[in-house]
Amino acid sequence: MTTRGAPKGWGNLLFALPFLAVYLWLLVYPLLAGIRLSLYRANLFGGEHFIGFENYARLFRDRTFIQALGNSLLFVVLTVPLLIVLALGLALALNRGTRFAGFMRSVVFASSVLSVTVLTIIWRQILVPDGGLISHFSRLIGQTPVAFLNDPKLVLPSLAIITVWWSLGLPMILFLSALQQAPRSVYEAAALDRATPWSIFRRITLPAVMPAVILVAAYECALQFQVFGQPQLLTQGGPNGASRPLVLYIYETGFNHWDIGYAAAASQMLFALILVVSLVPQAGRWLIRGRA
Amino acid sequence: MKRFLFLLMALTLGSCEKTDTRPTITVQRIFGDCRAHVPKGKAPTANPNGECEIITGLLDRFEAENPDIHLKIITVAWPGYDQLSAEYAADDAPDLVTMHMAVIPDYKSHHLLMPLSESLKEQGITPDQFTPVARRAVSMDGDIYGLPFDTWTQLFHINMNLFAKAGLVKNGKPVLPRNAAELLVQARQFRQRTGKPYFVQSMVNEKAAYARNLYIYLLAQDEVIFPDPNHIRLNTPRAREIVGLFKQIYDERMTTRDQDYGTATAAFVNGQGGVYIVGTWMIGAFDAEAATPGRPLYTGYTVVPYPVLFGERPAAFVDGHAWVMPVRDRTPAQTKAVMRLLKFLSVHEADWTRSGHLSSMKAVVNDPAYQAQPHRRDLMDITNYGQGLPIDVQRQFAIQDMLSEELAAAITGAKPVDQALKDAETRINDMLTNLS
Amino acid sequence: MSQARGREVWQWLRYAFCAVMLVLILLPLVWTVFLSLRSNIDLMRQAPLSLFGPYTLGNYGELLKNQTLFRWFFNSMIVSGFSVAGVLVLSSLAGYAFGRLHFPFRNWLYVFVLMGLAIPDQSVILTRHHIFSTLHWHNTYLALILPGLSAPLGVFLMTETFRAIPKGMEDAARLDRASPLMVFWKILLPQTLPAQASLGIYTFLLSWNDYWWPLISATRPDMFTLTEGMAAAQTNYAEVTGMGVLMAEAVLAGLPVLIIYIAFQKHIVSAITGMVKL
Repeated sequence: MTTRGAPKGWGNLLFALPFLAVYLWLLVYPLLAGIRLSLYRANLFGGEHFIGFENYARLFRDRTFIQALGNSLLFVVLTVPLLIVLALGLALALNRGTRFAGFMRSVVFASSVLSVTVLTIIWRQILVPDGGLISHFSRLIGQTPVAFLNDPKLVLPSLAIITVWWSLGLPMILFLSALQQAPRSVYEAAALDRATPWSIFRRITLPAVMPAVILVAAYECALQFQVFGQPQLLTQGGPNGASRPLVLYIYETGFNHWDIGYAAAASQMLFALILVVSLVPQAGRWLIRGRA
Repeated sequence: MKRFLFLLMALTLGSCEKTDTRPTITVQRIFGDCRAHVPKGKAPTANPNGECEIITGLLDRFEAENPDIHLKIITVAWPGYDQLSAEYAADDAPDLVTMHMAVIPDYKSHHLLMPLSESLKEQGITPDQFTPVARRAVSMDGDIYGLPFDTWTQLFHINMNLFAKAGLVKNGKPVLPRNAAELLVQARQFRQRTGKPYFVQSMVNEKAAYARNLYIYLLAQDEVIFPDPNHIRLNTPRAREIVGLFKQIYDERMTTRDQDYGTATAAFVNGQGGVYIVGTWMIGAFDAEAATPGRPLYTGYTVVPYPVLFGERPAAFVDGHAWVMPVRDRTPAQTKAVMRLLKFLSVHEADWTRSGHLSSMKAVVNDPAYQAQPHRRDLMDITNYGQGLPIDVQRQFAIQDMLSEELAAAITGAKPVDQALKDAETRINDMLTNLS
Repeated sequence: MSQARGREVWQWLRYAFCAVMLVLILLPLVWTVFLSLRSNIDLMRQAPLSLFGPYTLGNYGELLKNQTLFRWFFNSMIVSGFSVAGVLVLSSLAGYAFGRLHFPFRNWLYVFVLMGLAIPDQSVILTRHHIFSTLHWHNTYLALILPGLSAPLGVFLMTETFRAIPKGMEDAARLDRASPLMVFWKILLPQTLPAQASLGIYTFLLSWNDYWWPLISATRPDMFTLTEGMAAAQTNYAEVTGMGVLMAEAVLAGLPVLIIYIAFQKHIVSAITGMVKL
């Protein structure tokens, strides 16, 4: 391909320039400025004072931060596998051309277009023990309603289930598209071989969707590490900090305690975590290609 | 390209309205949005829900009486400080804000609030008109940084109908415990005779109530909560004893459980418990219920200060709402407009206190009309003996959040009491020693 | 024989699974609509639940009287609309440059852009907030739109799309001495329309549902997006609004995206699958 215009094609850079400018200004610079800020003691209104890595040392002494870190990890563990299993199940069940399958696919995806703030309004009125939907059922069978959002053991699983309800659509569609790419002839051959459904699933279906599974896993891990709206609106991190994830911790530290340097340090920890997670699909892709 | 630039301009200026020659002032307040029930121009006559209706009506009235001032009102969710700090950080603070007196030190110490003595004096408002409690809370470094609007505290709101059923009414007055042991005895008796818990409490997402309970009974025993402004002391025998009492109440199911503020309020109104621990601001709403035939609280509501359970004398942890004026650029006309609004608000402080709040103005407290309102006579003393935290303690709301979270953990059994108090101490001191 | 039985069992399992999932997914939505049709007072007094009412449209009536909801909806439309336009323009231009043109350090720059995919918005939000503070741009539409334009995902997608167009498409035009801009506009851009649609829909939903950034940037109610406004509504509800109204608000706030979703359903599905195939 030859290029016209200025020698060496500097002129062509102009096409990329608008994006590069915004990218540098609103993503790269804030990242670097955040790293710098994390080395300062500073509040929302100034008062900057260089303290080296003291904020990071403080983070590791801070039980609330450690708890938030643990909550974020646990939240990912609770949501991502369940999400993948259910979405894969739905994709398998709905991978056909019937009208019902089409309708069902629409329904599954519909919940994921709602915003997090609508999501929490809906689910609060399902989970609360006074007048919530589940409480009516438990009263029907003579049980005391469970306070899902006020029990340190149940609160994170509850938020996880809400989140799974909300996010099933995207993985399901990705799995469906992966399934549709597996050639029909392979299945027909397997049927002639009198292969059991399980062995068909294991030998044909699973390899076909595996790349999509890895992709979804990585994407959802990165996404769920950033969970914020659900706990911020439903539980404010409680009870006993059991539902306070990293991002909520950053928000509270920055905007309630005004401890902005410290919040910046916590932000860098979040960045590091997501960086690690986003390398996983790359590694996975290499592994798969290596085997093929 | 030109069209694009124009569009860009329009976008940047998107929030600006048509030019109005009148001075515009922005008022930011909490207390909720109830425009739907209070149509503009109709000042509230009844007082069904309290705070929101009254403040909406008052600001409407100011607008009507002062057509030369353009008022822009921002209603924020309680307590509104996330938003206010974001606005300050964005250099876009409002002209007048409702602020809890306990929060004034935070903003004052960063030079974000205007001193008001001089300009209020021109309006005929001087600090000696405030009650002692209110005056102490807004005074710093020889000036005042807010116009007190009320004094509030948490109280025991009582369902007298249930109390009567429990045999806890004598001569038309509720029988209240005189110490912790008696509280437990009465609460058990209450449970036995009514089948309902003695207390109604908001415990889910509750960022304040438990901390206030603890403060009240520590103050009643003259305990030093803050040895210095950067350190809190919580893990003490007295604190453990107080928290232990609330834990026992919870363990023995003498309180409603798992309710947030909204459901707890509904529970009390629906007659699901004897005593609701909540602030002065609900008095107006509960009085309205008490006047409605057929409701569980009908002719059976009263409210009293916390009974003396620890120590020898009554105590109250008080705070109050004040109007503060953020530092920002203003035209002289705007400043004048703000001062006129402050004057208006101080004149109508008595209207505001119909919500149930205690007055912060001496003249109102001593006014027979004010005292003739239900309950006020029993509560007035609080404006003398009530105390807040030391005014040089910063981040009092963040402290209250953290303390409440730890106390809730202790009371519901998620962690041992002394561990929770120790954790609260560590967290709060970590924040306070790293202030910048 | 047993083979056929096995198949039948699978079939039934599938139906059961679908039925259970259908109920679990729909029930919360139905419940919300149900509550929105009950009066505030009934809900507050916890009147016994009955499927047979009394129902009321009062909550919706109250909302329609209230202008703020429409203002928030309008804000959301502006913000999401311009975000889509901005992302498409910037990403297409950059994608063309990276995917189709030559210039010094092209590959280095592209890798540099891709590295941005690993930067979560949440970890830069504090300093981003500071940038807009010093510019006094909070509470403007620009502040709500611009951060979304810095995400590199769109550039990645468009670069791969431009790359995938068969080589030689532009050769004829080159012979006519058309400028790179003309080549872009006349020949290559039309080829990318399906990808543009995908990216556009994705951006729209992302922008419409964004919560944290509007929460700290748009602090004045007249600049709230609908998503942020719904947060304000629910944190306020205990104070005043009443639950029936809140549920009606949730229904009204959910409807526009649901309608958009139903209208563009086919495109959305192909958008998502299209993005992954790259």
